[in-house]
Amino acid sequence: MNEISRDAILADVTEVIRDIFDEYEGPVTPDLNAAKVPQWDSLAHVQLMVLLEKKFGIRFKMSEIQSFKNLGDVIASIENAQER
Amino acid sequence: MIPDRFDKLSSILKIQLQSFPEHENYLKRRFSGEMLEQLEFCEFVAGMIFALTKDDIKTFCDDYAWLSRMVIDEEVHFRRHSRYRLSSFAEAFEQVYSNNPFMTKYMNGLLMTQLWWRNHTEVLRFFRDSFLAGGGKDRDCVEIGPGHGLLLGMTVASDGCRSAEGWDISEASLANTSKALADLGVDLTKVTMREVNLFNAPEMQFDRIVFSEVLEHLEEPQAALQALFKICRPGGRIFVHAPVNSPAPDHLYLFRTPEEVVDMVSSVGFEILDTRFEPCTGASLARARKLDLTISAAVVARRS
Ligand SMILES: C[S@@+](CC[C@H](N)C(=O)[O-])C[C@H]1O[C@@H](n2cnc3c(N)ncnc32)[C@H](O)[C@@H]1O
Repeated sequence: MNEISRDAILADVTEVIRDIFDEYEGPVTPDLNAAKVPQWDSLAHVQLMVLLEKKFGIRFKMSEIQSFKNLGDVIASIENAQER
Repeated sequence: MIPDRFDKLSSILKIQLQSFPEHENYLKRRFSGEMLEQLEFCEFVAGMIFALTKDDIKTFCDDYAWLSRMVIDEEVHFRRHSRYRLSSFAEAFEQVYSNNPFMTKYMNGLLMTQLWWRNHTEVLRFFRDSFLAGGGKDRDCVEIGPGHGLLLGMTVASDGCRSAEGWDISEASLANTSKALADLGVDLTKVTMREVNLFNAPEMQFDRIVFSEVLEHLEEPQAALQALFKICRPGGRIFVHAPVNSPAPDHLYLFRTPEEVVDMVSSVGFEILDTRFEPCTGASLARARKLDLTISAAVVARRS
């Protein structure tokens, strides 16, 4: 996959993460997940997913929303959707 | 996460975490930074929940876990479309109210939210401190849609309550509330439960009216408030509680700001005495407003 597009996606995702999880000050990297962010509970997860859907003009599958393990998975899915 | 001396709260929490371990982070946030008086109130609510659930507490905790997972689907829909999934009472009746096994689990889960959702607990505390407090005597009270019975139970037990009625259109719900009042040990001689549709209410008037988490279930909430104005004695008070941006399978009317709730209460002629806006667990009011998160809006108003 294309490194550059991944970095670009990560930059946009980071913006959304900073906005919604305003108490989290750690690094935003592909291995970031809910366990590392106290504000990232199951409802916030949905809010995050839909904000990303809107930002990238895509639609995740319900099964994806429930199974993403970290931001890396999310970014891969966004990249896939954009290529289609 | 909770001092040992709040033993009822601690033991319910332990049972809840056994049934729903993924919820640990949420519940940690729920209780972090709570002041002593808030924890004391939680202990009081935990006591009522124990009285209501008895040996069945584990089922209620399981049903809360079920409810938390179910509202996720509603949340996805709400975030994507910025509206609630259902808009007519007929649909809600078909999908929710007439489905007894679903309703039982839903009601059980909602009882637990009185403790696990900080906005619910705080509204209950506001109900006690702003609406029920303040002395007075010979008050005739009514709650419409009393559900789990905590508010009606607290009303019956409050100073100055002479009589209390519980009205609902659902026979099952009335039976549930009656059982709850008996389990809470309140003075049942003061209580009358009736099958009443608010839109077709008997010609009675009351000094205290409780209307909690019903407005958002209606197609025409303003008409309900007009009906409540009629049954309020001049000088009497009303407590209205409705959530903002709160997707649920039976929520029809979407309030987008807490001010919309307050304005609707005053639009039918009530004079607003006190308001309380409580954001959902983990959010400040400012952040809840910015991200359109759930806020519980509670209003105490008077018919002058
Ligand atoms: C979600 S429950 C409220 C539970 C409780 N009051 C609370 O604060 O959690 C809403 C109740 O309002 C009742 N209800 C809805 N429309 C009504 C009407 N027109 N007249 C009387 N009761 C009504 C429903 O049957 C239901 O039991």
